[in-house]
Amino acid sequence: MKKKTRTRILQIIFGVVVFVIAILPVYMIVSSSLKPTLLIRKMPPEFVFEPTWTHYLKIFKQGNFLSYFKNSLIVAVTSTAVSILIGSLAAYGLAIMKSDWANRITGFLTFSKLLPAITIMIPLYVMLDKVQLLGGFVGVILSHIAINAPFTTWLVLGFIQDLPQDLFEAAKLDGCTRMKIFWRVVFPLLSPAIGSAVLLSLQYSWNELMFAMQFTSMKSYTLTVGVSRFVGAISVDWGQSSAAATVVMLPIILVGFFLQKYLVSGLTAGAVKG
Amino acid sequence: MERGDFLPFLLLLPVMLVVFFVMFLPLVYGIVISLFDYHMGDLDFGRDFVGLGNYIRMMQDKVFWKSTVNTLYFTAGAIAGDLFFGTLVSVWIQSLNERIRPIIRPIVTIPLLVSPIIIGLIWKYMFNINGGMVYWILSWFGLGAEQFPGLAGSATAMLCAIIAHWWQVIPFVVIVLSSGLVSIPNDYYEAAEMDGASFIQKFFKISFPSLMPQYMVILLFNGVDAIKVFDIIYALTGGGPNNSTMSLSLYAYKNAFDHFDMGYAMAISNATMLISFLVFGIVFVRYNAKARKEGIKG
Repeated sequence: MKKKTRTRILQIIFGVVVFVIAILPVYMIVSSSLKPTLLIRKMPPEFVFEPTWTHYLKIFKQGNFLSYFKNSLIVAVTSTAVSILIGSLAAYGLAIMKSDWANRITGFLTFSKLLPAITIMIPLYVMLDKVQLLGGFVGVILSHIAINAPFTTWLVLGFIQDLPQDLFEAAKLDGCTRMKIFWRVVFPLLSPAIGSAVLLSLQYSWNELMFAMQFTSMKSYTLTVGVSRFVGAISVDWGQSSAAATVVMLPIILVGFFLQKYLVSGLTAGAVKG
Repeated sequence: MERGDFLPFLLLLPVMLVVFFVMFLPLVYGIVISLFDYHMGDLDFGRDFVGLGNYIRMMQDKVFWKSTVNTLYFTAGAIAGDLFFGTLVSVWIQSLNERIRPIIRPIVTIPLLVSPIIIGLIWKYMFNINGGMVYWILSWFGLGAEQFPGLAGSATAMLCAIIAHWWQVIPFVVIVLSSGLVSIPNDYYEAAEMDGASFIQKFFKISFPSLMPQYMVILLFNGVDAIKVFDIIYALTGGGPNNSTMSLSLYAYKNAFDHFDMGYAMAISNATMLISFLVFGIVFVRYNAKARKEGIKG
């Protein structure tokens, strides 16, 4: 009995530590974004204070964060939608492919994960410059698709392979063409995989910095690029950068919170399958 | 089986086109340009060709070697902590009541969704010598910037970057390991308890061996992710102080966009790729072979 209480207490202490470490940094940034500048660097932190919106007003009115927000939305939504569409078609293609090529192509797509982004980004920058596609949305959206579409393919393929074979046979007997089978039978059953792919692609694209930083220009800067400009400054304005950081992270945290189920199933798919 | 069955290839075409134009082509182009002394603008094939000149220069570049060591140090430190703390947290979650678990998980996974550039910013704030929370906590123990210079010290700055990376990636480890732990039958633990096994024994004899596939995935995904580290360091230190946190990706980036020394930058980024392949290619090939054996049908 005594040992049990001791483990219980240890469990609780450990839990509190984990909780504080997971939440506190995020809390500190969010609360700093609402604090008057003088309070931001005050330690111990004040947990009760009168919130001010000055930092937000500054980044939205003087800074361009409203336009960055819009640009981030354009980039994330477009690249995710395209990735999901072409990725799930490709996965179905791989699933119905009868030759050895299916394995080779799957291996190749996964292998692309080993490629550091920088190795692609620098030559791609020069190439985009040559065809005058730097500065707009094309470069950044294409590079995000190049990362997300193979990932979607791989994720959705795993789910298609888990579907019972009888399903395909039955549909075939009913005289469905293979494309009809995909749209009528397979695609509706894929919603968990699609959910995961949507969330993880959105998350990648929304949070990505390196491609966005070099491929966009003043008019197409995304949120992460906006934040990186604060961070690069010699003396960081913590109020404004906290507000900017909050604007970047809160939407995706909320989306992830409500789609928790898909987050977990998407991330574990790799651990359970190949 | 069926020759001339084009539908599957047709379905694959869009993804393959994107991969070809946005990954494969730049990759080849980068290898070619790394043989030239190229600074944007027009390329003169005769005059600018330097052969392996950029690679020879790289071999003699102290900062390149420092970045290599830094990157490997970061990767090793990141993975070690990810696995160790990730395991601790997963085992803790597993030991909880099943009703509490679903409430804990979404909270613990928050850092996973935060952009790496924001992670860098958050920890720059936490490690700030003037009013950063870390220094406030250290002051309880009578420690300060002298004992732990943090981001300002060449010896400690990388450690700060590693800690920031842990904070972001451990949730991923927890999700993956928890999924593995759930699938271990309870009977195993009960049988071990009957034999009087301690908590630690149970972990090393039952949980740890069954989690091997999960550890493999984590090693592969996190390792690849860590070896190309860019955003966190970009935000946290920008590579300083005194290049002590310069990573390969960041060094290539700086050569490309601070000096527009494109040929040399591509040589470095190709070396980064080679190192990533050398370190994780083996893990990857084994993982992929195993996955194939376990029945991805052709």
